[in-house]
Amino acid sequence: MKIADKKALKRESIIQTALQLFSTNGFHKTTIPDIAAKLGMSVGNLYNYFSSKDLLAQEIIRYTSEVLGEKIKEVNMLDVSAEEKVHKIVEIYFSMAKEKPEMIEYFLRVYLSNREVFSDGCEGMVCVSGFITEIMIFFDDAVSSGELRNQDFFSAFGLFMGYLGGMVFLKGEGVLPKDIACYIDDISRNIYYALKA
Amino acid sequence: MMIKKLIEKIEGEAELDFTLQKGIVEDVRIRFGFYRGIEEILVGKAPRDALVITPRVCGICNHAHLLAAVSALENGYENAGIAVALSSKARYIREFTLACELIQNHMKWFYMTILPQLERLTQSENGENHALKASYLSGVITKALAIFAGQWPHSSYAVPGGVTCDPTYIDVMQAATLVDESIRFFEQVVIGMALEEYMQIDAVGNLHEVKGDLGNVLYLLGTHGIAEYGKSHDRFIAFAEGLGMQSGKSIATTVSKIDVRYVQEWVQEKSMAKAVSYKDRMYETGPLARAMVNKIPIIKSLHKRYKDAVLTRVFARVHEGVMLLSYAKEVLQKLDLSEPSCTLESRLLADTFEGTGVVEAARGSLIHKIKVEDKKISHYDIIVPTQWNLSAGTDQEKGVAIKAMIGAKSMEEASFLFRTFDVCSVCTTQ
Amino acid sequence: MKNKQHSKPRLLWLQSISCNGNAHSFLNHPDLFSILSHFELVYHPILETKHTLQDILKCETECDILIIEGSLKEKGLMKAGVEVSSVIKHYASIATHIISAGTCATFGGMFKQYDPEHITGFCFDGEVQTTRYEQYAQKLISLPGCPIHPKWLGFVLMMIVQNRPIAKDSLHRPLELYAPTVHTGCARNEYFEWKVDTEGFGLKEGCLFYELGCQGPYTHGSCNKILWNDISSKTIAGTPCFGCTEPDFPKTTLFETETRMGIPATMPLGIPRRAYLTVTGVVKSFRIKRFEERLISYDD
Repeated sequence: MKIADKKALKRESIIQTALQLFSTNGFHKTTIPDIAAKLGMSVGNLYNYFSSKDLLAQEIIRYTSEVLGEKIKEVNMLDVSAEEKVHKIVEIYFSMAKEKPEMIEYFLRVYLSNREVFSDGCEGMVCVSGFITEIMIFFDDAVSSGELRNQDFFSAFGLFMGYLGGMVFLKGEGVLPKDIACYIDDISRNIYYALKA
Repeated sequence: MMIKKLIEKIEGEAELDFTLQKGIVEDVRIRFGFYRGIEEILVGKAPRDALVITPRVCGICNHAHLLAAVSALENGYENAGIAVALSSKARYIREFTLACELIQNHMKWFYMTILPQLERLTQSENGENHALKASYLSGVITKALAIFAGQWPHSSYAVPGGVTCDPTYIDVMQAATLVDESIRFFEQVVIGMALEEYMQIDAVGNLHEVKGDLGNVLYLLGTHGIAEYGKSHDRFIAFAEGLGMQSGKSIATTVSKIDVRYVQEWVQEKSMAKAVSYKDRMYETGPLARAMVNKIPIIKSLHKRYKDAVLTRVFARVHEGVMLLSYAKEVLQKLDLSEPSCTLESRLLADTFEGTGVVEAARGSLIHKIKVEDKKISHYDIIVPTQWNLSAGTDQEKGVAIKAMIGAKSMEEASFLFRTFDVCSVCTTQ
Repeated sequence: MKNKQHSKPRLLWLQSISCNGNAHSFLNHPDLFSILSHFELVYHPILETKHTLQDILKCETECDILIIEGSLKEKGLMKAGVEVSSVIKHYASIATHIISAGTCATFGGMFKQYDPEHITGFCFDGEVQTTRYEQYAQKLISLPGCPIHPKWLGFVLMMIVQNRPIAKDSLHRPLELYAPTVHTGCARNEYFEWKVDTEGFGLKEGCLFYELGCQGPYTHGSCNKILWNDISSKTIAGTPCFGCTEPDFPKTTLFETETRMGIPATMPLGIPRRAYLTVTGVVKSFRIKRFEERLISYDD
């Protein structure tokens, strides 16, 4: 393995470990030495990868957004109706919440709650553009095919993502009586009917 | 005897069927061949598309069409209860660009129609390239127009509520210099005297002071006995105010008010041009009409002597060019750049409305009527100046240009008289 | 030129269904008569010429370069009893160069909309080749634009006089004139780069692409490179580009940008939507103070 590839792997493992610690213990309570200890590496070496905790936090959100974006991109490439695409996007989101809860938790509990950490370098959509771009493409395609009603981007985006975020939040709080996967059909239908042309 | 003659280079062509009696023109039928359907093309389009489509009626007076279209939209907004308060900056800029187009058109007509045709008729050609002068002046004055309108021909810079441009003083100074250059051209080439001195001329007796190409045209008209030809109904009409001029009609030098509601339009047999009348009577429109309605002293003096003959008509048009240059200069002085260019929002503000817009184009009054239903144009009507001047007339009276041609001693002479009205074929067959 | 016995190539300008706008636009060329001095002007719709239209309609005149202005209709446009399309075809067959001047002559343009089935350009009907294409395409130069830009025509005429080959695209448009988009050189480019929308008509600040219908980023033409009337352009004057050089001109709702959930329906020429949206999302996240302010204020 080349040195560059080794470094990339190490980088990713730092991101994943930090992601887990940030979302379970909270951003402020987690320190760089905590992360280094969990990875079994020296603090000095970790700083070679990320020069500050804030930068690491930003990198995590970019990484999360790209993982999610890649999955939605696959849906966008499918030759299926907008209704089916809504269903698939909801599925992706909820299965991620189930399998990699730290990612969604991170987004909700770290990214949205600690805006000051992201104000310099992660303004607006800069760090989440991988995900946002794919959502835009989904909307654009669906309006162009006549399946969804044309409207302002944010009114549609808010309805779609606010709903999903809210459900994941409820899951995180442990108030959902059923497994989150049980809600996929109804929620997909609700979103589709709210947005359809 | 009936003879057909194709008249060309009149922004397209027209066919004249002359009835001759011993060589004298007894009657004329004017026909325009091909209808291009702009009014139909507009139906179903978004209302503001008219600002892009209607200028394409005509390559030489496109800007007047734009301004008529925007006035029709604004009038429609007002009828729908939306107040349109133009800033004086927007009004002045529109007036400036319209004046520039008129000057361009007057000079092209003078140098590319009147001078060469008159020289041919009087066999006094000297091989001079008059078109070079027309092209030069047109280039200079339309450049001044384009500073605000982006381009000429076919600008669409006037939108409901104002204009799209946001000029700086660099623009204003450049425009002023180009107007000065045009004035210099008039002084040195067209009138052969200083503008200030020229503006002092208010009676026929002093016309001999005019030199330059205008002086030459006056001389040719006078010495070949053509000056007094081409009289018509001696009735004039101008519908739009602006460019320092009032609207109204003038009959036997009495000026009175008018209302665009009394304009009637009808289809003519064997011609693609519609005829038009005001309260069933024929009126001449154009620079001579504007001068008569506005009682311009030198034109009144000429009219007293020559009535609505060729000399008065030709002089009135060049004279208007001079007046418009002074006016354009004044308007630039008055521009206050701190005012907004456009006072309405950029979206379509009413779904259903009807409006009429009137503008004085180079050849006379131009009327646009728009009807909008559910955000789409359902009807559009364009009445162009040439329809006033060239219609066949009614059962009671001949059309304006036809009456002017009757009695001409040859078809060549009649064709020249015809061209003094500055026919626009493309406008007429929109 | 082929006709060696003639010192100057013979230039014939014929009109079909037109508004005269191309003829008038060319008349504004500051070097008009220098350019024309290289030709023998056989006929022109405005300028004084050796021949009358009556002469030309007889189809007996020689010509080397044919300029066509206006849309074509195979049957029904008569001048002095002669079918104009047949006169144009006659001269097109004897000319060595055919220039379709303006969008009407090139693609059908404005006047096509009155009778879309029968009214077309000379060799193209929109983007589609007409039946005439095969016979004349080899000598065809397309100069769309409503109207034609005087400098564009002047350039092509001088290239012909100097016998230089003109590189063209598949619609026979000279690449030097039509490879750039109208967006190239637009005075509002900085606002486009940072996705700063104009707040309405009549402002020198802001881009017209997002709301006001500007087609500059996907319209072929050098309007902002070779200025109009040597001084300005639509977009400089705050007017959106209406895509007047394109085969589908004129579209409708020209003062509004068609959007889908706020995303422009037509992307800048050749830009993948994913790339455009990624850049847009990123750039829009920054508030640049300079772009939120007026450049100049004359208030005091």
